[in-house]
Amino acid sequence: MGEDTVDVLIIGAGAAGAALAWSLAETRMQIVCLEQGDWMDPADYPTTRNDWEMDRFGAFGLSPNGRGRREDYPVNDDESPIKISNFNAVGGSTILYAAHFPRMHPSDFRVRSLDGVADDWPIDYKTLEPWYDLNAQMMGVAGLAGDPAYPPKEPTLPPVPLGKLGETLAHGFNRLGWHWWPSDSAIATEEHAGRAPCINLGPCIMGCAQGAKGSTDVTYWPAAIRAGVELRTRCRVREVTLGPDGMASGAVYVDADGREQHQKAEIVVLACNGVGTPRLLLNSRSPRFPDGLANSSGLVGRNLMFHPYALVTGIFEEPLEGYKGPTGCSIICQEFYETDASRGFVRGYSFEMLRGMGPISTALWGMSTGRLPWGAGHHAAFADIWDRTAGMVVICEDLPEECNRVTLDPELVDSDGIPAPKVTYRLSENSQRMLEHAVARGTEVLEAAGAKETRAEAPLPPAGWHLMGTARMGMDAATSVVNDWGRCHDVKNLFIVDGSVFVTAGGVNPTNTIQALALHTADRIKNNLSNLFD
Amino acid sequence: MTRTLLDCVLDEILPAREDPALPGAGALGIGSYVVEKLGDALPLITSGLEALDQLAADRGAADFASAPADERVALLNEVAAGQPGLLESLVFHGYCGYYQDPRVVEALGLAARPPHPEGYPLETGDLGLLDPVRARPRLFRDPGA
Repeated sequence: MGEDTVDVLIIGAGAAGAALAWSLAETRMQIVCLEQGDWMDPADYPTTRNDWEMDRFGAFGLSPNGRGRREDYPVNDDESPIKISNFNAVGGSTILYAAHFPRMHPSDFRVRSLDGVADDWPIDYKTLEPWYDLNAQMMGVAGLAGDPAYPPKEPTLPPVPLGKLGETLAHGFNRLGWHWWPSDSAIATEEHAGRAPCINLGPCIMGCAQGAKGSTDVTYWPAAIRAGVELRTRCRVREVTLGPDGMASGAVYVDADGREQHQKAEIVVLACNGVGTPRLLLNSRSPRFPDGLANSSGLVGRNLMFHPYALVTGIFEEPLEGYKGPTGCSIICQEFYETDASRGFVRGYSFEMLRGMGPISTALWGMSTGRLPWGAGHHAAFADIWDRTAGMVVICEDLPEECNRVTLDPELVDSDGIPAPKVTYRLSENSQRMLEHAVARGTEVLEAAGAKETRAEAPLPPAGWHLMGTARMGMDAATSVVNDWGRCHDVKNLFIVDGSVFVTAGGVNPTNTIQALALHTADRIKNNLSNLFD
Repeated sequence: MTRTLLDCVLDEILPAREDPALPGAGALGIGSYVVEKLGDALPLITSGLEALDQLAADRGAADFASAPADERVALLNEVAAGQPGLLESLVFHGYCGYYQDPRVVEALGLAARPPHPEGYPLETGDLGLLDPVRARPRLFRDPGA
């Protein structure tokens, strides 16, 4: 294993690597994917156990630093108010994501032209539209047609249920005359492509034991493997190697038995997310690229974007049945998505409604907010909040700034001794003003829906799950890392298909766009095979 | 540390409840969960609780468990003030153990089972509520228009 040259070597089996592998499989090229994690077993997911809520503090926590799994790598995020959240396995972070699946807006690709900030993308919404549509079929997207916040689009499956909680909040939005819509969600609300339908377990963010959530281990990967793609798990890549011709020649990796291997390849594709990809490029130094592979622009690792989040929670008088249904997917509001300069900031944000909490989470939330005493008053105070909370997260668009970046930590290494990433990030003034606006509006709508009390937290520290911008796309090699279809300017057989290539962040969850971009890149590779490296 | 002392403290943190009636967390046996989860912190907590017994004795009771009910919370707070993390650990683990106990879960109106494989029924809801939203003009900007 590892000595023969394969046609395509993909590094990372998450959202993007899976989509690209599946799309390229029809070419009958020899395709190998290296994934540092392993296959997950849904029978082991927390919702199969009575103590399911406790796993958020352990193996299914959001932070790789807290989980202690061999498959994860540490991240030094001490110099960031927003902490990294990712997961390493077949399926990548789609194992733990909420499966909220909105598209970006047409305006998101023309930020400079429309609003005078950041840069326009070298592609537009129309470029990605067919890939969004294809991705909806493959991932199984539930939703409802007719949303005035978007160009027409047809969901594959019926929307996730509103439930009593969703209806309660919908009344609040209607009282204010604001936009809301059932969330586009990568959740099989009916049986779809062999996946069982959602049965409203609750915590999608701990893995879906039902298999209804569209994580790529149950969507793209089975189809890609049936089509001949080889997926090697527990294989952690140390560096991408460079041949004498200046082309990527493959990758050195540590296999499941701890042995170092070199896999040679004609094409190398990075799909390691907005932190893992710059980490790997920066770890791949050579005389030709002393500052990291494909980094002649100096932009590898720079322009890191999160989505600054806020959490606004309301306490209601009546039970909401909030422990039922997909945690993060209910309804979305994009009333404040498009730029309105009178608000004091540019760009905008989405509200995404959350379901309620289980008993333990309710108790700990009550404790952390000072709402729940121990002792004589405990049970009355608990009854006041149990199944009576509904919240919303705010997803603010982040703007790219070169000072926000991923570098290599001088000391921290992973379990294979490979230098780990360090994240340096600060909130911009624009983001802070946007968060303030969003918290005020979020409070307003919860009160309009009947909340008797609200609480807000902004920014939300553990919300570093959207990792973008660190190998940005553009047509100028001096100001970008990859071109308009993900090919590195510096190394013409090296491609990047994860959130690193985002030029701007939009104000929505990025997975759908990441996968649409991967399908777009795969399409361009397939259509340019004869002159791919010109 | 005797189980009696920890149980007694847990009964102060999470006392008996009514409707439906349930004894306090100590009497429910949550102490064994707390001891398991305290792990390396157990000796520190044990020493803190022993200080609680000592303080109760200094105030004239045989031990904390024998102290008058209306004095126990004050004793607990007094010891906790000098032992950072003591009360926080007991409350955190006490809550986690208590709110996953099947008897407590049922008292909250839930079935004492994991969410999977039965799941929960959930109403689709009234999508007619969207009518005013549907009636609105386009909300997105189209740079190509």
